[in-house]
Amino acid sequence: MLVDFELIIRAREGDGAAFNQLVLAYRKRILGTIGRLIGHPEDVEDVGQEVFLRLYFSLDQLRSAEVFEPWLYRLTANAAYDYLRKRRRRLESRMADLSEQQVMVADAVASAKVEHDEGQRKAIRDTVDSLLDGVSQEDRVLLMLKEVEGLSLKELGKIYHVNENALKVRLFRARQRVLKAFRTSRKAVAGFGGSR
Amino acid sequence: MNHQDHLMGDDEERLDLLFQTYRQACPDPEASANFMPQLWQRIEARERTSTVFARLARTVVTAALALSSIMALVVTVSHSHAAALPSETYVEVLEEDQARQNLDYFEPVHVEPIADHR
Repeated sequence: MLVDFELIIRAREGDGAAFNQLVLAYRKRILGTIGRLIGHPEDVEDVGQEVFLRLYFSLDQLRSAEVFEPWLYRLTANAAYDYLRKRRRRLESRMADLSEQQVMVADAVASAKVEHDEGQRKAIRDTVDSLLDGVSQEDRVLLMLKEVEGLSLKELGKIYHVNENALKVRLFRARQRVLKAFRTSRKAVAGFGGSR
Repeated sequence: MNHQDHLMGDDEERLDLLFQTYRQACPDPEASANFMPQLWQRIEARERTSTVFARLARTVVTAALALSSIMALVVTVSHSHAAALPSETYVEVLEEDQARQNLDYFEPVHVEPIADHR
């Protein structure tokens, strides 16, 4: 916990200053998570404000201060999901269309050749973004929380209020789909490179 | 482990590495200076909207209550007027009237004795 329970309780009772402190404590972490979940840095602040807006208007429904963090992650996951759904970028046909450049980025990552300038970072973001186009928006958020944010199944269970086994199955299937898209793209690029 | 398994395992590792690198490529950003002022503006705007809706809802409820009271009053008054009227139904009144009219037109019947023509 980044704050003590007392601050959460004060914010829940309508103390504006306490709410401000709460936002300041969690803002950076939440914005980072949103950035990785949605993959569009230009919209991170907007989605972040939406998360804290929802927090402000639903704090009175929080049962106890102990469940604050899973609850905040739940709001974050929901806001990211709503954002992704609105963009409606996902198309089934795009499942395996990593560009040749993106496959090269993935290969460079695997051989630790990647240099972290802004161009490379954008290429990595685009590569992962394209790979995740092959799964639903719900699975994308779930997979990112597990694989990139490093949340455990137990933590995910608290966020989603779902049994861990059900989550495990869902995560496995989503990862398999992403892996399939990854392999297909690599094979396509290897074939294309080999035919030249 | 055969070649196929090795390649699949290789892809699993590559994907894990890609996710890890993605994590590093998207570090936690610093919020802009406008973040908090904009957040409070959005909160206040939402509160204003909620207040307007609450007022509108109160007005509608008050108007509905007033209308119900007026209608209740009208129904009560019309019932009290109805009490002064005959309790018979319209059909019964018509029948009675018809019967009275029929009696007025009846004249006494004179029965002529039939003459014997024989």
